[in-house]
Amino acid sequence: MINYLIAMATFGAIYAVLALALNVMWGMAGMVNLGIVGFYAFGAYITALLTLNAHAPIALGFLAAMIGTAMMAALVTLGLTRLRDDYLAIVTLGFAEVVRIAAENEIWLTRGTDGISGIPQPLKSTLGADFNAAYLVFCLVVLAVVLWVLERVRTSPFGRVLRAVREDAQVAAFAGKDVLRFKVKAFALGGALAGLAGALYAHYSSYIVPEIYVPLLTIYISLALTAGGIGNNWGAVIGAFVVVFFLESTRFLVGVVPWLSAEQLAALREFLIGLGLLLVLFFRPRGLMPEPLPRLVKR
Amino acid sequence: MQKRSLITRRKALLTGVGAIAAPFVITTPGFGQTGPIKLAGLVSLTGSGSPFGPNSRMAHQAVVDQVNAAGGLLGRKIEYLAEDDQTNAEAGQRAARKLIDVDKTQAIMSVWASAVGTAVLPLCWENKVVMLAISAADSLALLPHQGYFVRTQPHTELQGKEFGRVILAMGAKSAYLIMPQTPFTETVFNAIRTTVEPKGVKVQSVIIDGKKTSFKSEIDEMVRANPELFMMGGYQAENIVMAKDLFRANYKGKVIGFAYGMTPGFIDGAGKEAAEGMFACAEPAPAGGSSAYAKLKALVKKDALDTYICQAYDHANLAILAMAKGKEATGTGIKDNIRKIANNDAGVMVDNALDGLKAIGEGKEIKYSGASGPCKFSDTGNIIEVAFRTTQVKDGKLVEVKI
Repeated sequence: MINYLIAMATFGAIYAVLALALNVMWGMAGMVNLGIVGFYAFGAYITALLTLNAHAPIALGFLAAMIGTAMMAALVTLGLTRLRDDYLAIVTLGFAEVVRIAAENEIWLTRGTDGISGIPQPLKSTLGADFNAAYLVFCLVVLAVVLWVLERVRTSPFGRVLRAVREDAQVAAFAGKDVLRFKVKAFALGGALAGLAGALYAHYSSYIVPEIYVPLLTIYISLALTAGGIGNNWGAVIGAFVVVFFLESTRFLVGVVPWLSAEQLAALREFLIGLGLLLVLFFRPRGLMPEPLPRLVKR
Repeated sequence: MQKRSLITRRKALLTGVGAIAAPFVITTPGFGQTGPIKLAGLVSLTGSGSPFGPNSRMAHQAVVDQVNAAGGLLGRKIEYLAEDDQTNAEAGQRAARKLIDVDKTQAIMSVWASAVGTAVLPLCWENKVVMLAISAADSLALLPHQGYFVRTQPHTELQGKEFGRVILAMGAKSAYLIMPQTPFTETVFNAIRTTVEPKGVKVQSVIIDGKKTSFKSEIDEMVRANPELFMMGGYQAENIVMAKDLFRANYKGKVIGFAYGMTPGFIDGAGKEAAEGMFACAEPAPAGGSSAYAKLKALVKKDALDTYICQAYDHANLAILAMAKGKEATGTGIKDNIRKIANNDAGVMVDNALDGLKAIGEGKEIKYSGASGPCKFSDTGNIIEVAFRTTQVKDGKLVEVKI
């Protein structure tokens, strides 16, 4: 059981980094991104190809995943400067599909739908059976660092400008802020974190394949952020762990509701995910941990 | 006045920690060596493999119930568990983690999608759990699985060669192949080409994105090429869409496809008229005339069986008999003994777990031959002997034909 809990906590930590990435783009800067899974895939493939094909050190793979995905995110933003809300959501969704389909079909580079197996796992041979626990600690440390950095960002002048852009880009521009520059920076930062999450997953599972990077994962992460509290970094982290718990705990319904068949339970689990999102949006539209309001200046 | 949130950060943290720990508290502990022997199916109950997963689960459960009713295995009951892999590698890994770490299963049976198989197999060999798979991607058997892998589905190169044989047997001089991008698309195309091109058959091939909702442009292009034979190589969902587009395009040539994509569900979805006359190929022939096939039909109360339910039945029987043979109810026990009961032609022929257990109890050597075929395995885990069958849609039903 403990190994299972360790594995699920690792998935939770990886999802949390991804939810934090989405929070920078969507929660802080107000740019709806339904293509977060595309950046996640991009990071995973960069590190997988570098460490497996070019035999680069794993640390370099992580770094390249972050830098490469940040650059890709910045490029994507430059192409989307005129889009807001629904249109931005649709285009980012399309971006993620382009990444997935490219990974499926550029077999010479990505091994297509065979996927890339045997991605090196850090210190696996040395750690042996302790690898999973050690990797969880590593993921939690990475998550803590990312959370600390993003909390600093949130309360920094940069974070305040992002919120201003989110609330009303025209007013921010009127106040002399270069809105495009801030949007690009926010997307690049979010992209780097999504790439980092992708690298964490690739070196944990040792196998990646395009079919992992489907819109369903974006829905899970969006659900994590919505449930936790859009704009709140702590909310994103808690939301990610809640989603993983929800996904996994529903497996144990078999013993609780024996009158349902395995097929019915499988369908019910997917139904409950959708229902969970609807309930959160209905009863707590600002999430379990709403974004903390800025302190008002006392007169 | 500023409204305070009902849920504080501390409460949320406590909830999160409690949530993570809850499964540990609410589940029953493992039984160890004295409790039931655990066998699991990692089947596709949702996603593109969902037409087949429920049947696999049904076959596993039926075998386990039968053995339990006769007294169990090595003096212990068998507990069967099933998890949905959602036909997705990442979801499959999480499900496998639960089966291995929480349920302590000794075998993971009837994994269907190759990507799921590839994602889960390392977990199996690291934890000394045997995977008995349907997944056909050639690369699976090449992984360093240390013997913890066997499959009853013929690998894809063999399936491609079978398609080539069918094309030649039908006398087609030109063939147009359409398949979605899968781990075995290139292998199948290459196997078909190397089989038929030396005989003068002209081959064109196209890879499609299987998630599209219409394939009209691809079908129109195929019709313009006017091939004598069209291979509609999708799964059930894609084939339904393609068959409708094909019907509208009024294509008159022969149409062949993978048996897993041309199921009774396909005929219902595409419509009898559109599906009529199409051939379903490369299906490992269930040992149709065999007693195992007849017994499975009676066990699951079905008139006709596809290859996957037959393979799932064989997986459960093989796992049980291998453990009985080695008197060791572990994954390693299955790994070390599966070939002793599957490849031993000199043994007493058995076609189900009950007869096999009885024979082993009497000290006899056995050879299991199942509903999906002879079930002989190479060192890499591939099936050695396989017979294929072809069926054709006739009056809305799949009927076996000789080609």
